[in-house]
Amino acid sequence: MALVLPPFCLLVFVIVVPAAQAVLSTLRVEQDGHVVYSLARYAQILHTVSLYRSVAFTLLVTLASAAATFVLAYTLALYLRFSQGRVSTLLGALFILPLFIPTVIASFAMVTFLQNHGFVATLLHYVGVEEMPPLVFNAVGIVLTEVWASIPFATLVLLAGLQGIDDALIDSARDVGAGAVRTFRAVILPLNAVATIITLSLLFVGILGSFTIPYLVGGNAPQMMSVVMTNYFSNYLRPDVSVAMAALSFGIAALAGAAYVVGVSRRERGVV
Amino acid sequence: MRNWRIIPRTIAVVAVVCVFALGLWGLPARGQMTAANLYISGDTNIQDMFNKDLLPLFERDTSVKTNMVFLSHGQGADAILAKIIAAKRAGQQTDVDFYETQPTYIAESASEGIWAQITKDNVPNSAKVDLQRPEVLVSQGFGLPYRGSSVVLAYNSKYITDPPKTYDEIIAWIKKNPGKFTYCDPQTCGSGQAFLYVALYKYANSADFTGLGYDANKEAAWRPALELLRSLKPAIYNNGFYPNGNVAVLQLLGRENIYMAPVWSDLGMSYLDQGLLPKSIKLVQVSPPFTGGDSAIAIPAHAMHQGAGMMFLNWLLTSKAQSIVVNKLAGYPGIQWKYMPQDMRDKFAGIATNFNPLPNAKYQADAKRLWQEQVAGSGQ
Repeated sequence: MALVLPPFCLLVFVIVVPAAQAVLSTLRVEQDGHVVYSLARYAQILHTVSLYRSVAFTLLVTLASAAATFVLAYTLALYLRFSQGRVSTLLGALFILPLFIPTVIASFAMVTFLQNHGFVATLLHYVGVEEMPPLVFNAVGIVLTEVWASIPFATLVLLAGLQGIDDALIDSARDVGAGAVRTFRAVILPLNAVATIITLSLLFVGILGSFTIPYLVGGNAPQMMSVVMTNYFSNYLRPDVSVAMAALSFGIAALAGAAYVVGVSRRERGVV
Repeated sequence: MRNWRIIPRTIAVVAVVCVFALGLWGLPARGQMTAANLYISGDTNIQDMFNKDLLPLFERDTSVKTNMVFLSHGQGADAILAKIIAAKRAGQQTDVDFYETQPTYIAESASEGIWAQITKDNVPNSAKVDLQRPEVLVSQGFGLPYRGSSVVLAYNSKYITDPPKTYDEIIAWIKKNPGKFTYCDPQTCGSGQAFLYVALYKYANSADFTGLGYDANKEAAWRPALELLRSLKPAIYNNGFYPNGNVAVLQLLGRENIYMAPVWSDLGMSYLDQGLLPKSIKLVQVSPPFTGGDSAIAIPAHAMHQGAGMMFLNWLLTSKAQSIVVNKLAGYPGIQWKYMPQDMRDKFAGIATNFNPLPNAKYQADAKRLWQEQVAGSGQ
């Protein structure tokens, strides 16, 4: 108990109390000279077109990025788990690389890579494609960069889960005549469920809260919530809106957090 | 063994203390020998101009020595202000004899009584400065401009033979030539802000927003301006793409992706000089003019070498020094154009008029927010 006390106090006084105060402050609204508690600020957010669109845009970009990352990372993890050889070893070392590249640098690299007269445009020009849809300063740019930056982490977690699956189980499935797809669906996917939930929820929360990538690669409008919060806080001198937006995004992240907690506790109870 | 070792350590400690003590004692003593301490902020072009051109010339002209303390991009400008105020409160002199900073800084601390009133008696050349300039007004009369830049309209004369002369003509041109105009996101650059503020001033009285007061209700007058900018969105480059930063706009102009845009006079001039913009790009000021103005000079009332500071300010406002400033920075002089040599007036003919003052910081923040909410983020 005594050992848990310091981190517990830290958690309460540095995270829980300030967060609760901030959420309370978003509910405190001045009306006719006295303070009342109401959801007026949230109503204002949902009634301001640009803010409402920002919330929807954030959810869309986050879901798309998380889904794309998940599919690519799962494929990569399966390959690394079940394939031996030089290519596999090389890939196993290479995929981790983005983890060691600062996001700021990665974002700028993506911009020069994808922009109007950038690398991709030049390549397409050689092939004969002249008209290219804009790939940066919009949702596409954010999703591409988020996927690039999140793949190593997602692959690591999924790979760890896959490596925990006993080879004997897979071999026996093969022995009774199951093909690759059937083995994946009936054996690997369910056995790797916890790693899947952890990956998805952490990807979701990570991308939802990311700032550098949407700030540098995103467009004028709509903007992701993290960028909007920063603008209202420091550029527009309206911290109240910023805090309400933060509380809103905290609520969205809490849903993913709940999925994570359920997933982990299921494993601890030995259900999976 | 232990005692033996303590001796060199003690000596080392004493030596360090002595060096520091001497340093503290010695610095003010040396400061009295150099004549004027000039605190100047800005980018490296400003630093170069003072180091290589202005200060050597001033020292040769007057044989007064100067010591420049350069605050790169205004970093530490706050601390210098705090130092001046602290000296005043303690009833001491300050070693800051000449302070170049943002006019709002000068205004905020004016109530402390730290600034000397500059008149034509102590700085004769101050009479050449237009006292209606935003830098003077915003700094409550304690700051004098010596350089300025303004946002102007850049257009490609290869495609536009009859450039717009008024803001309304710009709007009409944009609607007639869709996709060939843009301005940067006001969040990220001053030239886009200028385009926004002049639209606001078109429907509202600019004097309501440039002073120190703040009343959010006055912003109701901005509504038609924001409506106007929103209606322009389909005619903006790439269906409403507002680039980030001044440089991005200049690049679009350079590649002839767009034919017209608001740009900073000094940036545009220096891009033209470096060949980064085609020679067919011309800069003009329109009516009503775009916004501009940035820095001002104030002299502390309790400056140690106030006379030398004022002497430098007076010299800086001569047409000789002003010509150097305008040439080096491709900007506006601090004194009125009529006091500038004829060849300078000819060179800057397109932009040699005045500019509109900026709204104060709170109105600026609100204007940027409303632009984001009602123009960029409106979803048509």
